[in-house]
Amino acid sequence: MNNSPIAYIGEHAWAGQLGHALTLISLVAAALSTIAYFLGAERMDAAWTRLGRLGFRAHSVAVLGIVSLLFIMLFNHWFEFDYVWKHSNLQMPMKYIASCFWEGQEGSFLLWTFWHVVLGNILISRAKNWEPHVMAVFALVQVFLAFMLIGLYVGDWKLGSSPFLLIRELPENLGLPWTQMPSYLSVIGEFKDGRGLNPLLQNYWMVIHPPTLFLGFAATLVPFAYAIAGLWRNERSAWMAPALPWTFFGVMVLGTGILMGGAWAYEALSFGGFWAWDPVENASLVPWITLVGAGHLMLVNKRKETSLFSALTLTLITFILVLYSTFLTRSGVLGDTSVHSFTGDGMLPALVRFLLIFIGISASLLHPDKRQRWTYVLLSIVLLIIGLAFAIEVEAILLFGLLTFIHLIQSYRKGFNTNDPEEALWSREFWLFIGALVLLLSAVQITFSTSIPVTNILLTPFKGFFTSMGQSLGWEGLSKLGNEGLSTPSEAIAHYNRWQVPFAIIVSLLVAVTQYLRWKKDEFSRFVKQISIAFVLSVIIAAVGITLLGYSLRELQLGFMFFTTAFAAIANIDYIRSALKGRLKNAGPSIAHTGFALVLLGALVSTSRKVEVSQNTRSMDLRFLNEGFSNNKDILLYRGDTVRMDEFYVHYKSKRPDGVNLHYDMDYFAVEPRSYAKGDTVRIGGTLFHARVSHTAGPQFLEQQPEFWEALESYSKRDLWHAREWSATRPGKQLFALSPIIQLNEKFGNVPEPSTRHWLTRDLYTHIRYAEMAMDPDTLPNGTITPDDAWMPKRKYEKQVGDTIVTPTSFVVIDSVYIMRDSATKAMLGDRFTVHAAALRIRDLYTPDRWFEARPLVIYADGQPVMGKAAEVAPLRVLYGLATVDGEKLGIEVAESEFVVMQALMFPWINILWIGCVLLALGSGMAVWQRVRGK
Amino acid sequence: MKRSHIIALVLIAVAMAAFIATLADSSTFVDLAEAKAKPGKEFKVKGYLDKSAPVEYEPIIDANLTTFTLVDDNGETCRVRLAKAKPYDFERSESIVLTGHVNATGEFVAHDMLMKCPSKYNEMQQMGQVEG
Repeated sequence: MNNSPIAYIGEHAWAGQLGHALTLISLVAAALSTIAYFLGAERMDAAWTRLGRLGFRAHSVAVLGIVSLLFIMLFNHWFEFDYVWKHSNLQMPMKYIASCFWEGQEGSFLLWTFWHVVLGNILISRAKNWEPHVMAVFALVQVFLAFMLIGLYVGDWKLGSSPFLLIRELPENLGLPWTQMPSYLSVIGEFKDGRGLNPLLQNYWMVIHPPTLFLGFAATLVPFAYAIAGLWRNERSAWMAPALPWTFFGVMVLGTGILMGGAWAYEALSFGGFWAWDPVENASLVPWITLVGAGHLMLVNKRKETSLFSALTLTLITFILVLYSTFLTRSGVLGDTSVHSFTGDGMLPALVRFLLIFIGISASLLHPDKRQRWTYVLLSIVLLIIGLAFAIEVEAILLFGLLTFIHLIQSYRKGFNTNDPEEALWSREFWLFIGALVLLLSAVQITFSTSIPVTNILLTPFKGFFTSMGQSLGWEGLSKLGNEGLSTPSEAIAHYNRWQVPFAIIVSLLVAVTQYLRWKKDEFSRFVKQISIAFVLSVIIAAVGITLLGYSLRELQLGFMFFTTAFAAIANIDYIRSALKGRLKNAGPSIAHTGFALVLLGALVSTSRKVEVSQNTRSMDLRFLNEGFSNNKDILLYRGDTVRMDEFYVHYKSKRPDGVNLHYDMDYFAVEPRSYAKGDTVRIGGTLFHARVSHTAGPQFLEQQPEFWEALESYSKRDLWHAREWSATRPGKQLFALSPIIQLNEKFGNVPEPSTRHWLTRDLYTHIRYAEMAMDPDTLPNGTITPDDAWMPKRKYEKQVGDTIVTPTSFVVIDSVYIMRDSATKAMLGDRFTVHAAALRIRDLYTPDRWFEARPLVIYADGQPVMGKAAEVAPLRVLYGLATVDGEKLGIEVAESEFVVMQALMFPWINILWIGCVLLALGSGMAVWQRVRGK
Repeated sequence: MKRSHIIALVLIAVAMAAFIATLADSSTFVDLAEAKAKPGKEFKVKGYLDKSAPVEYEPIIDANLTTFTLVDDNGETCRVRLAKAKPYDFERSESIVLTGHVNATGEFVAHDMLMKCPSKYNEMQQMGQVEG
């Protein structure tokens, strides 16, 4: 074994070493900063605080260094680094370098860390005497985040993962022969280019969505740190004043981030909507809900010493939920329940500890008594040690949960249970409190359903018990808790909607009325008088809306939600007029509330009144074929074909490659009534009709038949087969064009991207569900002249003369096979070649009396087929080829014209949702601005 | 009774209801043998695509029907009728999770499918093998 270091050629190993060093510096500096700030806070010593500040500045410099270094590595394409190789490549446009930066686990942790650094430095200059306490919390969180980037193995579990690892340093590559080659970078071709950023992520959403979302996550740390500081200094309310603007800043940014995610999904991904209750979406929604609750309870507490415990708890829980959401999406625990969670990579143990430590810190500080705090902390540490030592971590975590629960109840009884008189029923604070509780319940329900995989792990110790109980009681629910194992709801969207619609109704009702109530105690009659205009207006609008959209009695809940959300929007707009006298300066909350209500209203209408316009577009009901056949939900479009789809004719014009994208150009035409001239012949079923007079067709043939059409007495079969089917409408002028895309990607797989037509009142959203990708000439029938991709892959049949073939669209009778011996053929080809022809009779499978003929040829030389000429039956869009002839045995090939399967959805009034998003962000921003300036 | 007590009771009741309803709505993961033993009952089954058996998709006849064969982790196989268009890169999938039930003819009728494609490629390891 050669121990001298290998001099690798062309490696930028210094960057990796610098990166590791900077990560270590950022960790040590954050740790020092935590300790110094802690002492500064405990002793109220300015010197320690200054040292803490210095530590945090050093940490900040190190983090900025890490960020810049990673950008430099990506810019210069140093593919010897795993992170660079996995997330970028040479072809990728430079503008997406930022997307590469945060595509991976490490980069997104770094982004999060970066925002904490930014917010931390703002707080240093603004927090005044709160600085040591607040920054101690900030620095502690940074210690943990730095651990997530350090990439150390402690025994079996991995502590974070570093973006500065060289590929040859990856654990799976250690010891492989090529890692010993000094010139491996130039010898091994794979290092020339990286795997690259998934093309699906190469769009502007990937540039703006993650930074916004992570800034939102980072913003939740500020109120959390203030809450901890308040408990620490035993100033249990004073922390709220400085935390309040930050809370609503978090509401604005996190809310914007979440809605951007929805917009991205809707615009560029083929989920068929903007929200799918996916665990990853839920994990970011839940902290937002609790943050909104926390912010409103802080507003209550500013006026009155109530709701203290709930305000504290919700604030603390929000940040813990952010950590929990990190745990859910990064640990791999979601596994089979989410489409886009990260794979675990062994991060689970570290993330669990991270989470438990912050739960412990928060819970312990809620108790007013110092001794009790320490007892709780000690017991928790003992549990952790026992769990680790005896490998019974699940049990230890459950006991920790129980301990925390008991501790919280005691904390409430000792420190927060006051005997103050209750709030008046008609007061703003009472209904704000109720609203916060409903938000909490909504968050609990989402968390509970999303956490089913976690619940399963936590229930492991009781599996046997639940299984036997379930069996003996015959109770299915218990068996599910037992060995069967829980899984996420099979109708996830229906499950969440069932719970969240009632919550949304209550919350929007509260959003409507609560601002109209005065603090402390209000006169009910004054309140009624002030809100009555908005109420009456909403009833009218709701009545019109519900009627137009056709919400029936069975959809009572949805109809009611329409009313409450409309009421919330109108009441808040009216509030600006009636209570604020049009002073827009103070209208932030009202605008935000209106936005929130419109988001709910838009989501309600666009989702519940979504129409699958691509459904049942075929003329026949497929269910008659077989019970197993459903009526197609999606439309099948042959290239060049124009078919009716809802209120349009859609025409599949062309397939157009453009870089990695394959565009499917679809033209949309208006539907016009068809005009017939005198003497036109049409077919209805098995009968031909003659137009008596020139006319425009009505919707039903039979209605007009006696007046306009005359049945023909006699006609040849051929006339019948070739006559056009009667139709009431025809394509009119072109209205617009859409180009849904399939992104071809060998490395990441082919993915569809939707194309959407936006109107003011609705959106037509289309995407390709299926298209044939294997289009090489070998799959085409023998004798196809155009070896392009105009035909689907051939179907092969080995048959004899007299046999029949059933293809998906046609019924083929092989009448005969013969050799063409005419002199013209002979003269042209000479004696070496023999031309075989098959006489096929072909029937449209779905129209019993519609017959066609086809004569495909094959030319043989020396007993081998050399060439052919396939025959197309244009009305059926099918090509028939003759591949081989062996006496009476024939090889027949059939190919259908190229087609795609498309889904088209109509989302009515989705713009209400987007307007709501903008108002929500704008209003929250105005409210924050007003609070910051008003100070 | 104080108003706060009533509120607390309502909270607990709703939370309990949510818990029970989630339990009722949740499906369970089983293997194919279990799903076959209880035809008609809805389950989630995890497994992978049997690449030796045909994957049939005739969009001309039914654009929302894909049939294929699933192998579960115990090696048990079952023909599946999935009421969806054939997914992109189906043949490349690593593992699939189906939601549905076994019908009277012993086929698994699935109305939903979650497909995991290989997210990590092992190019580097293959490279090592080539060099070694």
